[in-house]
Amino acid sequence: MTNKNPLGQAATEIAQQQLQKLRAATTGITSAVLLSSDGFEVTSLETDKGKASRLAAMGSSLAAISSAIAKEAGISECRRLIVESEEGVVAVMTVPDSSPPLVLAVVANDASRLGQLLWGAKHCCAALSKKLNK
Amino acid sequence: MTHDEFKILFTGPMGAGKTTAIAQLSDDECVSTDVVNTDLEQCNKEMTTAGLDYGYISLADGFGVRLYGTPGQERFRFMWPILANNAAGVILLLNGEHPDLEKHLAIYADAFANNGETPLVVGIGRLAANDFSCVDLVTEKLANMGLFVPVISVDVREKEDVLLLVETLLCQIEAHEMELMEV
Repeated sequence: MTNKNPLGQAATEIAQQQLQKLRAATTGITSAVLLSSDGFEVTSLETDKGKASRLAAMGSSLAAISSAIAKEAGISECRRLIVESEEGVVAVMTVPDSSPPLVLAVVANDASRLGQLLWGAKHCCAALSKKLNK
Repeated sequence: MTHDEFKILFTGPMGAGKTTAIAQLSDDECVSTDVVNTDLEQCNKEMTTAGLDYGYISLADGFGVRLYGTPGQERFRFMWPILANNAAGVILLLNGEHPDLEKHLAIYADAFANNGETPLVVGIGRLAANDFSCVDLVTEKLANMGLFVPVISVDVREKEDVLLLVETLLCQIEAHEMELMEV
């Protein structure tokens, strides 16, 4: 299995800073992965690299399936997918206008507040879009 | 047990033609989860499946077949059992030109053949017209794994070829069900 980063080093560092900013400003984030839409990890807050790779692949599938169902239901384009449980939240969202297309997957525990999490993640995606397109 | 609808699964490595095969057969527009491919080293193509493919084909006698396709890359392996659940049989597509053909065969036969319990048909693409050595090789490797299944040279861009795979698999499924009834 190839393990490659679709972004260059400088862009990856910028992305890492944005993820750290998101975590600092948001309650309850336990991990976050920025991934290419075809499932490669770009950078993550996850120290366990195996876990980050799996989250990247799953985030990619979920984003792709979400887009397909949004299209099927006539409500495209899909902006984000939210998975909720008693113990936490997973949010998967696309980074607007990114090339290659990027997706952010965030995992948070039950200390998180959904509104704050989604707001933070949305702004993180917007910042990534702006800074990576420079 | 009688069925008027089957679920079958297309699998195989990236670039073997799973999405193309399902698109060839499906009566309506397929559900596709294609995304931009950044792994050009592994396979030089623009798009790749990240979630699943889905299509449907109506056959004669009121039979319908639900066609599912897996993502090819091993990083999407978690999708494989989800999609294989309740599948009556599996079509394994291989790229005959790929240097890792034998490795691919081992990975997918291991993941999907269920030790011969799941009906399986293998289609090999991108072979020269009169070259049967690859078909022979794959048949032999499968036999070494205890799997005695049809191996067919196909061009998934040809609807007739894909239909042949599906019809062969339906025969395998029927034979399998008769075996189960005899036990």
